[in-house]
Amino acid sequence: MNSHARSSAFADSHPVGTAGDFNSDIRLSVEQVSYAYSANPTQAPLFTLEATSFQARPGEIVAIIGPNACGKSTLLKLIAGALAPLSGRVLLNGFVTHTLPHRARGQRIAMVQQESPLLFPSRAWEFVLQGRHPYGRALRFDTEEDILIARNALAQVGAEHLSDRLMDQISGGEKQRVILARALAQQPLLLLLDEPTLHLDIGAQVDLLETLRRLASANRYTVVVVTHELNLAGQYADQVALFQKGKCLRVGPPATVFQRELLEQVFQTPLTVELGSSGRPRVNVPSAK
Amino acid sequence: MLLFCAASWCPTAHAQTPPANPAAAPVYKDFVDEAGRTVHVPQPVQRIVSLAPSLTETIYALGLQDRLVGDTDYCDYPPDAQKKPKVGGAINPSLEQIVALRPDLVLVTKNLNLLETVHSLDSLGISSYGTDTNTVQQIISSTQRLAEVLGVPEAGATLGADLERHLADLRQRLNGLPPRRVLFIVWSDPLISVGQGTFIADAMRLAGATSIVDSAQDWPHMSLEEVVRLQPDYLVFAAPHSDSGQNDFDVLAERPGWRGLDAVRNRRFAVISDAVNRPAPRIVSAIEDLARQLHPEAFSAHPDDKKEKKIPPPAHLKRSFRVLDSSSGDSALLEVCACAL
Amino acid sequence: MRPLTLSRLLLHCAILSGVLFVVVVIALKLGAVPVSLYGLGHDLLRVLFRQTSQLSSEYQLIIFDIRLPRILLGIFVGASLSVAGASFQALLRNPLADPYVLGVSSGAAVGAIIALIVEPHLDLAPAVAALLTPVGAFLGAALTVTAVYFLGLREGQIDSGTLLLAGIISASFLSAIIMFFMSTLTGGNYRGMAFWMMGELSTPPQRIVSLVIRFGFFLAAGIIYTTASDLNLLLAGEKEAMHLGVDVRRVRFVVYIAASLLTGLAVSVSGAIGYVGLLVPHVMRLLFGSDHRILLPTAALGGAIAVVVADTLARTVISPSELPVGAMTAIAGAPLFLYLMRRGLT
Repeated sequence: MNSHARSSAFADSHPVGTAGDFNSDIRLSVEQVSYAYSANPTQAPLFTLEATSFQARPGEIVAIIGPNACGKSTLLKLIAGALAPLSGRVLLNGFVTHTLPHRARGQRIAMVQQESPLLFPSRAWEFVLQGRHPYGRALRFDTEEDILIARNALAQVGAEHLSDRLMDQISGGEKQRVILARALAQQPLLLLLDEPTLHLDIGAQVDLLETLRRLASANRYTVVVVTHELNLAGQYADQVALFQKGKCLRVGPPATVFQRELLEQVFQTPLTVELGSSGRPRVNVPSAK
Repeated sequence: MLLFCAASWCPTAHAQTPPANPAAAPVYKDFVDEAGRTVHVPQPVQRIVSLAPSLTETIYALGLQDRLVGDTDYCDYPPDAQKKPKVGGAINPSLEQIVALRPDLVLVTKNLNLLETVHSLDSLGISSYGTDTNTVQQIISSTQRLAEVLGVPEAGATLGADLERHLADLRQRLNGLPPRRVLFIVWSDPLISVGQGTFIADAMRLAGATSIVDSAQDWPHMSLEEVVRLQPDYLVFAAPHSDSGQNDFDVLAERPGWRGLDAVRNRRFAVISDAVNRPAPRIVSAIEDLARQLHPEAFSAHPDDKKEKKIPPPAHLKRSFRVLDSSSGDSALLEVCACAL
Repeated sequence: MRPLTLSRLLLHCAILSGVLFVVVVIALKLGAVPVSLYGLGHDLLRVLFRQTSQLSSEYQLIIFDIRLPRILLGIFVGASLSVAGASFQALLRNPLADPYVLGVSSGAAVGAIIALIVEPHLDLAPAVAALLTPVGAFLGAALTVTAVYFLGLREGQIDSGTLLLAGIISASFLSAIIMFFMSTLTGGNYRGMAFWMMGELSTPPQRIVSLVIRFGFFLAAGIIYTTASDLNLLLAGEKEAMHLGVDVRRVRFVVYIAASLLTGLAVSVSGAIGYVGLLVPHVMRLLFGSDHRILLPTAALGGAIAVVVADTLARTVISPSELPVGAMTAIAGAPLFLYLMRRGLT
């Protein structure tokens, strides 16, 4: 890791707050972040995200769950610094994500999301090398170090054999892995994933989450995942944030969030919750009459 | 790439020098052409390139065809002009061809040629003289001035005087006669006529006619409705042969809506030579021809008049032009001559 | 894994430069007046060594004052249009984007015509007056690009199909304006419809305009080249590019302005030449890949080759008359485009 390059990129921005109240154990701090979006300034907002707060440490996985259109993706964008919050702030190691310069942001925060269709499909290794973009100057050519990091990233997601394949000729699950590899190539502190399990079969889904947990603890990433899969969240996340209609109803370890009444109220369907052998909750749908 | 740029810088520095003539130091005379430019004309003018058919005709009319070393693809009159080396079109001539012919002077006209061509010739150090003729009188005086520039003022004076004489005769015959209202048809589909400021409209006037088209544009597109509303007395066609002129009328008469014109129903049309399309000396004979068709009474009353009239040629001119007398359907060869001095 | 290296880039550029050189030599040889290759080489050397007095003056005029400036003009026009085309394709994420299709060339033409209308009414020094046309063309191009961009937005995002439609309609509308101008303007020198709508290289511009074209090309293309890596990422998607550290807003703005400048400069001296900005980047992508660090320089060289070849054909096939260059590029370009489409390139 080239920490020297990283600290020099921070030259223009300063950590928020004094050294005293900066808890070095907390990497990501979402503080009373809210957002509102309206198409027309004179009309009432179409969508709001109410003040939300939670914190995450290095090596932790946070899952954001909730029904459709409840603000999960918006929250992720706010954390990534792509949107400016209406109130509150998101701090990454003490720096407000939204005000980070683009390059610095690219070196710290990596986003894995539904990809736009590729116009001119590239090879997987080219794709992953894009993750090194925040580290180079303009008009740069990829260095030996870049190539090494990219290869390493592919290895970490188990996709080295896909290296020379074209992106539009691999399966959904394989593509997802390559996209994750690109995110890893950014050598981020924060890894954000927006519905990464959407088009994957159950085997691939489990595979992905296993990889995320392995990477989070090995490389000390902080991972925030938006997902529909309640049981994957319950199985792999250290914290779960439950949202409904823009409001965060509860944040905490899975066992405290997966309460039957709470879940039934949010998802509007009968559910049962049972505690698994590992101490993690599992959500079931009761058999139909 | 850099080498290219360097190489391109060097030669353009030489652009302004005129072609080197090791034989003798060239003598120049300055003239102001009809576009207001001062032109350095080498003396004597031995090699001429013409960039317009009308200018080519004028050169032949002045008897200087031996000095014409190149003309455009469209220079077809007199037939001898077709044999001259070609430099391309009037609007887009090949600069290379022009340069290769080593002209002393290039003739251009504001009616047809582009300013860009003149600029390009200037930057190559080739002198160009431009005419600008919007009335028949200007055609005559332009011809005379051109003759001066080319060193044959006598031929110019003689030709001019002759043309003036024809026009004066015409004026006398048509004196007091009401002008016919005509529609001059440049093109029938779309219908294009001539504006009041063109030399063709002026030619109409001298032939005892007025163009019903009142437009500031040179080649206005007319709507048939407007023409029907104005009801011209005659339609005028310009054609290389009287037969094709007749054909033009017949085709037009078949078209829907044209029967609304009295002139079409009563077959009142005139066909004249396409010389009327070019601002050159030959236009005068086309004017006479048109006058004859529109006001036959002005000519039949004259005691010396015969069906096939020969305009008496001034003795010292000796080239022939072919002019159509469409009222009889035959082509009468009029001996009008140009003198090679 | 074979990432792009500087040596590979230079090698490919050198090859293309070699091809360009050969094409230029052939173009110098061909024309309405025959010129021998040996004599040509000899004379080029003489010019380089400043021994020009030994050349026959007509010969010198033809080669150096007519053909060579025309070829150089073709080089810069072709390079400008290709780089602009590649830039628009990246920015708008649309393989059919090019200055002509998007109406940017027509907008530049309208801007130039308006400049020509206005110019006699302003009392300007000749050098400044000559520059009015390229400036007008640039403004026309920039305004058109902006309009097409906003028309092509759908819910705040660039929609490929809508964008193309907006471009085609703009091109159509602006062409109609050009035709209107050409039909009603009298007097003055507006170059004619064939020039504006099909392009023509037969009249070399004044020296100062030539200098502006060349300088402007290097400036604008250079600026675009500094964003080459960013453009690579933009092709993957604007959202993704943003998260990868690309300042999308800045890159978009800079590249639009630079590409508009390239288009404006090219159109102001040669009219609207089509198919070059569209096809040359595609062919170069087929040969060298879609990495903009190599695509942009090779597209520039490829565009130069294409226009010089087209122009040479245009002035020799029906010698001594000439075809407009745009007619030649269309004749060659349309079948090539169909072929690329069948190959499933886009």
